Amino acid sequence: MTHDEQPPGHAVSPEGGGTADELSCEEAAQNVFEYLDGELPPGYSEKVHRHVEMCQRCYPYFNFERAFLDYVHDRGMRPARSAKLEERLKRLLDDLEGREP
Amino acid sequence: MDVLYGLALRFTGGDDAAAQDLVQDTLLKAYRAWDNFESGTNCRAWLTTILRNTFINDLRRRQSRPAPVGYDEVAERSVYPQLHEEDGEGGFFDRIVDEEVIRAIEELPEDFRVPLVLADLEGIGYKEISELLEIPVGTVKSRLFRARRRLQQRLYRYAVEMGYIR
Repeated sequence: MTHDEQPPGHAVSPEGGGTADELSCEEAAQNVFEYLDGELPPGYSEKVHRHVEMCQRCYPYFNFERAFLDYVHDRGMRPARSAKLEERLKRLLDDLEGREP
Repeated sequence: MDVLYGLALRFTGGDDAAAQDLVQDTLLKAYRAWDNFESGTNCRAWLTTILRNTFINDLRRRQSRPAPVGYDEVAERSVYPQLHEEDGEGGFFDRIVDEEVIRAIEELPEDFRVPLVLADLEGIGYKEISELLEIPVGTVKSRLFRARRRLQQRLYRYAVEMGYIR
């Protein structure tokens, strides 16, 4: 993961400081995909969630990445049709049925 | 069948002959194992599972000694910094035609494409992908990360070329 994985121009908490229990923007951004995929441990996921909800820079960044993942899912699963394949499978089925006693 | 063929094309990187073989193998296995199918359960999910497992078993045979995956740091950054002022909501994605997205997925190197298809198209979790592909969870994460970044960069370049964004 690189330093580029943080929202532009921000590396501290929005309150301008933060406690040891809070995440920096960089830490939150490093976990963006694991967070969006629901793959972080519950406690840590909650920390990321709290940070993102309160951070005016991370919030749009996380929304952007979520929009990207939704987009890939929605468009990527598009079915495809092939007349050649349909013909091939029809022949296979005829062949299998012909073999049955 | 169109759903199976579409998924087969994504897995095989758009290789039509390989995708047709994969669908045929899947349906042949399903035909032979039809007695094992529990009526009332989701037939499409059952067929999708057979297709996925057939592809992955073949992948394992072909990749018993996988080639190292290339690393291109520039291509693996988020495009958000370039876009956040103009299009921070990611609306430009919606203007990209479906064919371009499909092509971009299918052109990813296989090591990146397969985890992406499993996670982002099929919704499978990291641990299960790790078990299916017999690679550590950390490798699943990093390949998925790189696959998504490459895809994003590719779609961004296309959007710039087409004048959707400046």
